[in-house]
Amino acid sequence: MNHRERVKQILHYGKADRMPAVHFGYWDELLVEWAEQGHIPADLARGLWDGNEKDRELDKIIGWDFNWYTTTSGSIRLDPAFPRVVLEELPDGFLRVQNPEGLIERVRPGASSIPAEDDYQLKDREAFEKLYLPKMQWKEERINRAHFEKLKAEDSIRENPLGLHLGSVFGEIRNMLSVIGMSYLMCDDYDLLVDIVDTYAELQFKCAEESLKIYSGYDFAHYWEDICFTNGPLLSPMMFEELCAKHYKKRNELVRDYGIDVISLDCDGVTKALLPTWFENGVNTMFPIEIGTWGDQFAPARDTFGKGMLGVGGMDKTAFRKDKAAVDQELSRMAKLAKMGGFIPCPDHRIMPGSKFELVKYYAEEIKKIQL
Amino acid sequence: MARFDEMSALLQRGKARDLATMVQEELAAGVPAKDILEQSLIIGMGIVGDKFKRNEVFVPEVLIAARAMNSALTILRPALADSGVEPIGTAVICTVKGDLHDIGKNLVKMMIEGTGINVIDLGVDCDKDKIVTAIKENNANVVCLSALLTTTMGYQKEVIDAIVEAGLRDQVKIMVGGAPVTEDFAKEIGADAYTPDAASAAETARAFFA
Repeated sequence: MNHRERVKQILHYGKADRMPAVHFGYWDELLVEWAEQGHIPADLARGLWDGNEKDRELDKIIGWDFNWYTTTSGSIRLDPAFPRVVLEELPDGFLRVQNPEGLIERVRPGASSIPAEDDYQLKDREAFEKLYLPKMQWKEERINRAHFEKLKAEDSIRENPLGLHLGSVFGEIRNMLSVIGMSYLMCDDYDLLVDIVDTYAELQFKCAEESLKIYSGYDFAHYWEDICFTNGPLLSPMMFEELCAKHYKKRNELVRDYGIDVISLDCDGVTKALLPTWFENGVNTMFPIEIGTWGDQFAPARDTFGKGMLGVGGMDKTAFRKDKAAVDQELSRMAKLAKMGGFIPCPDHRIMPGSKFELVKYYAEEIKKIQL
Repeated sequence: MARFDEMSALLQRGKARDLATMVQEELAAGVPAKDILEQSLIIGMGIVGDKFKRNEVFVPEVLIAARAMNSALTILRPALADSGVEPIGTAVICTVKGDLHDIGKNLVKMMIEGTGINVIDLGVDCDKDKIVTAIKENNANVVCLSALLTTTMGYQKEVIDAIVEAGLRDQVKIMVGGAPVTEDFAKEIGADAYTPDAASAAETARAFFA
């Protein structure tokens, strides 16, 4: 049984020979730490990202089977992206930078924390039509045919799960607007916000549709949103439903027509209030279920939505910074969740600086042994 | 008769321009600026905060109410100064060193300003020396420290230790917040208060000046 088959069996309540050891990547600083401690070769500390060759090489060293966030897609975002431009060097060492989404950020060179939102350009309809609309247009170049043809040719020998990235219905719009800009636009020109969401959604649908015509053998489809925080969603669930539901439904129906029935969505924070919109419109796999930072949980969602709600994640990654007892406690908790079926344990976000290499390695080995 | 309820309602709905116009009209009609602030705007922000705590409104509603509050305060400030009305106190706020997250910190800042407190915003990635200096320079009585990362929350303790070392601990109440921060952690590091959301932070800060 390979990892594709294991995942398919577990997420369809079938029989698998064992649980796969799945992860969701690392903070860059952690890889540097591990390299300095002599646990991993120095070249793996740079240029490692989800599912690439270095990631797979590190999987072998640690004992992971694969990184869940191994996905592909056409060019589904702003194209061309805004050039990264340093607008100003501030006296305190910060830089004011235009990022690829057109947002103006304050960044500290060398710091790994997400940047601070400083300003935004998508303030009105004129800015949308002039700066953003041209970058949201469909064009055939968005689909790299050779890439998808290669996936098709290699389908029968691929052993690890691969997801089709469906983009984002609202999270990327939030990234273009900033939280403040999103909020002001909701109040000042709601129709424009609707137009932005609809335009971007149609582009991402078209990209998915065209790529699926070439290759459709994905093991799952996947979204990124990050639209929740400690206290729940960043916007009202009612408005989220009004703006986004139809787009999830349309995209999810498309992938289901191609037989892709595991649809995961990456959202940090406490997601409970948005789960109904996602679940009722076809998203059926919670990821990464951040219990460590935000207290998000899988079991209550399963209670609410039944066996149709699947999960990948939920392991409190902060245990890796503690001791073996803390990891054992998580292994025990994961075993209970896994017994419910339709659930694959995975650290609940990128593994953090300060995590102990031997504990991560221990977890990766032990999680394979839990009873299914 | 002053239209306090109407101004409060406009603030709650985030109608910045309409609110600014009405504040101007009320001032012109002789309504004291202090009354507009205390009987309308602060009450309106308090209602928004309560609704936010109960998940009846969300971040956007708080931000647009805060924007409306600021538009009204821009008009009120000269009149408040003319009549000798001072802020009830000064708070220093920042996200601590190593952490660039500012959405939560900005929300807390706006909500605290909405209670009539003068807020000195030191921004993000702030080291302890900058915070200690700001307390001294502004004679602040409240310090709000935000950290969104498990890797940076520990720096909140370093700031508190620096405040103690500078001999300022008796002068300031220290509030901490951020996703990984808990009540227990706040006690452990010697903070005076942990607040789980922006509205609670504003209430707590206001109470420190009562």
